[in-house]
Amino acid sequence: MTDSSWRPAAGVGAAVLRPDGPAKVSGTFPFAGDLAVPGMLHARTLRSPHARARIRGIDASAAARLPGVAAVVTAADVPGLATYGLIVADQPVFAAEEARYAGEPVAAVAAVDAATARRALAAIRVDYEPLPPVTDPELAMAPDAEPLYPPDGVHGQFSHGNIYREIDLRHGDDPDRVGPVVVEDTYVIGMQDQAFLAPEAALVVPGADGGVDITTATQWLHSDREQIAACLGLPEEKVRLTLGGVGGAFGGREDVTLQIHGALLALAAGAPVRIAYDRTESFLGHPHRHPARMWFRHSATRDGDLVAVQARIILDGGAYASSSQAVLGNSVTHAAGPYRVPNAHLYGAAVRTNNPPCGAMRGFGVPQVTIGHEAQMDRLADALGMDPVELRARNAIAPGDRLPTGAPMPAPMPARELIELVAARPLPPPRDPAADPHGLALPGGRGAGADPARVRRGVGYALGIKNLMFSEGFDDDATARARLELGPDGRPRAWVHSACAEVGQGFVTIAGQIARTELGVEEVVLAPADTGVGSAGSTSASRQTWMSGGAVRGACVAVADRLLARVARRLGLPAPVIEAPRRVLSLRCGEIVGPEVGVRVPLAEALAEGPIDAEYTHHHRRTEPLDADGQGDAHVAFAAAAHRAVVDVDLDLGLVRVVQMTLAQDCGTVVNPLALTGQVEGGTAQGLGLAVMEELVTVDGIVTNPTFHGYLLPTAADVPALDFVAVTYPQPDAPYGVKGVGEAPTGTATPAVLAAIRAAVGRDLRFVPVRPADLVDLAAGTGGVDRGPGGREPADA
Amino acid sequence: MKGAPPVLYRPGTVGEAVRLLAQPDAEPLAGGTDLVPALRAGAPRPRAIVSLRRVLELRVRGVGADALTVGAAVTYTELAEWSPAPGLAAVARCVGSLQVRNAGTVGGALGSANPRGDLLTFLTAADAQVLLCSARGPRVASVAEFLAGGRRRGDLVTAVRLPPARGPQVFFKIGGRQAAYPALVSCAVVVDRLTGRVGAAVGGIATAPLRVTAAEEFAASEVDWSARGAFRGSAQAVARRFGELVSAAARQAPAQLPAGQRDPVDYRCHAVGVLAARALARCLAAPAQPSMPVGVGA
Ligand SMILES: Cc1cc2nc3c(=O)[nH]c(=O)nc-3n(C[C@H](O)[C@H](O)[C@H](O)COP(=O)(O)OP(=O)(O)OC[C@H]3O[C@@H](n4cnc5c(N)ncnc54)[C@H](O)[C@@H]3O)c2cc1C
Repeated sequence: MTDSSWRPAAGVGAAVLRPDGPAKVSGTFPFAGDLAVPGMLHARTLRSPHARARIRGIDASAAARLPGVAAVVTAADVPGLATYGLIVADQPVFAAEEARYAGEPVAAVAAVDAATARRALAAIRVDYEPLPPVTDPELAMAPDAEPLYPPDGVHGQFSHGNIYREIDLRHGDDPDRVGPVVVEDTYVIGMQDQAFLAPEAALVVPGADGGVDITTATQWLHSDREQIAACLGLPEEKVRLTLGGVGGAFGGREDVTLQIHGALLALAAGAPVRIAYDRTESFLGHPHRHPARMWFRHSATRDGDLVAVQARIILDGGAYASSSQAVLGNSVTHAAGPYRVPNAHLYGAAVRTNNPPCGAMRGFGVPQVTIGHEAQMDRLADALGMDPVELRARNAIAPGDRLPTGAPMPAPMPARELIELVAARPLPPPRDPAADPHGLALPGGRGAGADPARVRRGVGYALGIKNLMFSEGFDDDATARARLELGPDGRPRAWVHSACAEVGQGFVTIAGQIARTELGVEEVVLAPADTGVGSAGSTSASRQTWMSGGAVRGACVAVADRLLARVARRLGLPAPVIEAPRRVLSLRCGEIVGPEVGVRVPLAEALAEGPIDAEYTHHHRRTEPLDADGQGDAHVAFAAAAHRAVVDVDLDLGLVRVVQMTLAQDCGTVVNPLALTGQVEGGTAQGLGLAVMEELVTVDGIVTNPTFHGYLLPTAADVPALDFVAVTYPQPDAPYGVKGVGEAPTGTATPAVLAAIRAAVGRDLRFVPVRPADLVDLAAGTGGVDRGPGGREPADA
Repeated sequence: MKGAPPVLYRPGTVGEAVRLLAQPDAEPLAGGTDLVPALRAGAPRPRAIVSLRRVLELRVRGVGADALTVGAAVTYTELAEWSPAPGLAAVARCVGSLQVRNAGTVGGALGSANPRGDLLTFLTAADAQVLLCSARGPRVASVAEFLAGGRRRGDLVTAVRLPPARGPQVFFKIGGRQAAYPALVSCAVVVDRLTGRVGAAVGGIATAPLRVTAAEEFAASEVDWSARGAFRGSAQAVARRFGELVSAAARQAPAQLPAGQRDPVDYRCHAVGVLAARALARCLAAPAQPSMPVGVGA
């Protein structure tokens, strides 16, 4: 490694700007949806309008005959595997005999233009026999429930019937023990969507070899390739993927959506195909965050030491498995939160229903349970007559404490420090009417005309942990290549090739920082992410800075080693130096220097003989699967976060304005402070959105608000500036000591806002996102118990 | 979009526009903030689109002794700064985002007739009239008549006409976030000190803005507006009672909009009462200068 005292200006630790920033800001950055080639066809997807229906027949002949239509494909045209999936291949490429959710693709067409393609969709006749959808997971998981999927469809992959997975975690001497002070309740979480701004899109070009070249916005090129190739019946090397510009992902691009459809059409038509979703299709096309119903019982000694946590967590996985099994693993193992819990009985099930499929979203099963355990901690604090911060600090987990999985919590784990830090930050001043004559800063903004006398302020806290990287025995390694070469201008430069999907998180920035740090050059060329290099794994699970960052670093270190050895050889240095050249030689500022041996060789000179290449695959430490009692060393590492939220609530209308968000987060080594700020601000905003507004509403399985008019995202007026403190203990087994930072704050922002609202209105909140109707006393006779259609009333409330 | 691409016409006068709209299946296009997203989402395409952008007659704003006239192609941004119409300005400032305010028009709001449209609530409370023109000639309808009858084929909204501001005018709305949100419910209160009349309407309750006459009469009888806002009870009590009457009217409204998952009907009825009480309280607190129009609130 290079001398740690020397860091190039734009190396690891520096606030380097994104290389794609100017293009994104000025509108010239090509997102996947902007790609075009001459003569390309335009594809559209036909979707089931029914949440559940038998398909008696599909007649696409009229559509195929329309002038300008080049290809129509349905389930009958899938040459390879009929189904695909991230973990279990249970999702049909197109619904064949039965459509299992509203929005499920049934056919796709490619035509000379989008309007013709739309006309062709209208000409496809699908003979549906609607069936009663099962949209309540409790009903779907009942022992006598009718299976919603052929039981022999995916042998032995699921627990039983409609249950994707079930975990019954038992921890401690007496998992069902109940301490003297008890709080118990049920919480219901709605369906959040990733709502990334650039909808799904791909450009597929058929290759001369019978294969396809696909440029698409995804989170994991190699996983896409594996699933696409299997369904196309092609060897993987004939399916070549390149990353198109990705406008946000948040888990919503982990699953394949339109890739196989586009490839089938391109192969059928023998022409390039652009396939893209509009906003509504995007809302219907990718899996969402799992809605959850969660029962918790927390008990403690009278002094406030947790005795036990029992929980029952039901995740609605929707019609297909997606990543439900892994999401459930996270929900159950994180259900007790960042606390020392001697006894725990944590049951969870992820269930198949006829709701839209749910899968990965930022936090991956953890935000739901964080809402639950943090609401419980506040209520426990009330029951104990204790300060909520003190209760959390008192029980905060520390390195070496046993997790509910039985594994020791790895270091560093500054949970206690974080909650204390966040509590010590200055609170915002009271609202100043003179500074806000139009009431823009009151709940509801200028339109609501709030009476300041009827606005109450509340402060709430949340502490949480999130696992980093894939868990339960999965070796999600990452590969990268690096080369040191002379550029066209004769100056040395580094070239880095990784299949890591840049989805906005900033890998393109940190890859350059790492290469500069390790290779001592200014210029770094990052090759396009594609399947021409080994897998980088998924851009999810807070893992790419650690995993692909580790791969880039490993490849660069290997390149540097080879170069130093070459120089040592050429200078005729003794054999031990050639074998371990770093003992005397180092690479810095474009030079190879060895003061002890009087060496000073410019990089350009050392590279005159030719470039140096290396490839490296980074692995994290191995983890274990969970056993029958949910025990095992299942997680690589954790990051912790603590949020404090300050809200103002209009007591008469139940409108909420978030006044201040404060975050203290366990970040590991900071590779790039700007990128870190971007991640934690975004995570905070997304968590705030789930607390007060973001919900994809379904009625009998049908999404009723798949637009940005109906699905509201927080605007700049809804998200206050973030007061952020980074806590930076290096992670020992990670490159440079990094930790993933993107997910942890998403999990804690929601419960902190909820806690603040609870403090302001003095009511326990059981439904998330919280609705204004739940915060006010509705007139007598109406009682406020009507929860509208779709019934969010918890089953056992 | 469905169907063949429509033919786009760009008339320069109302007469020309009306003639073009007389052909079967022709649709006016103003700011396009409603029409374009609808077409994108798959609404049937008209055969002809008649763009109103070049019809300068539709962009006039006029102040007369007993009426204000606002051309159909006047945008929210233009209204937001128009001092003779403080209530309209307050509404305009609450609509959408800056981009939507720059494009969206008065005629488009009437053409879309969205039951939650902000402007419609205010125009209803203000007793506004809709000026229309078709190949058969001009006609005038009250906002309520216009909304109840629906836009007739070939009708062009040319302007709205409303009494000049002769007292406080307040518009409030709430929705899902702090800014740039569609109204969940809205409420407009318009006081005419000269006639002692109080106009009030709520949006988001029924399929068209609801005039709350019982509440109007209560407010008119309780407050002696000519005596500069003197009233019998306490301001707070009057406002509260006003809100209760509005809530009650909302609960009994015919043609209620269906409940949403996030907004049950009883909450909407409660919320319009709260907004109405606040709106009246603002009116009562406004300086009583009959000669000087006051736009308070948003
Ligand atoms: C992001 C966004 C946010 C919005 N927020 C709000 C909001 O907060 N509050 C709100 O009230 N509205 C809101 N709207 C809706 C919209 O902006 C308004 O209703 C606007 O007034 C429509 O005007 P326009 O000129 O754009 O109409 P267009 O889209 O051009 O037309 C709408 C309809 O009216 C017809 N039409 C247009 N002009 C005439 C005319 N002169 N005579 C007869 N028919 C005509 C058209 O044929 C069409 O059917 C929002 C829209 C968007 C896209």
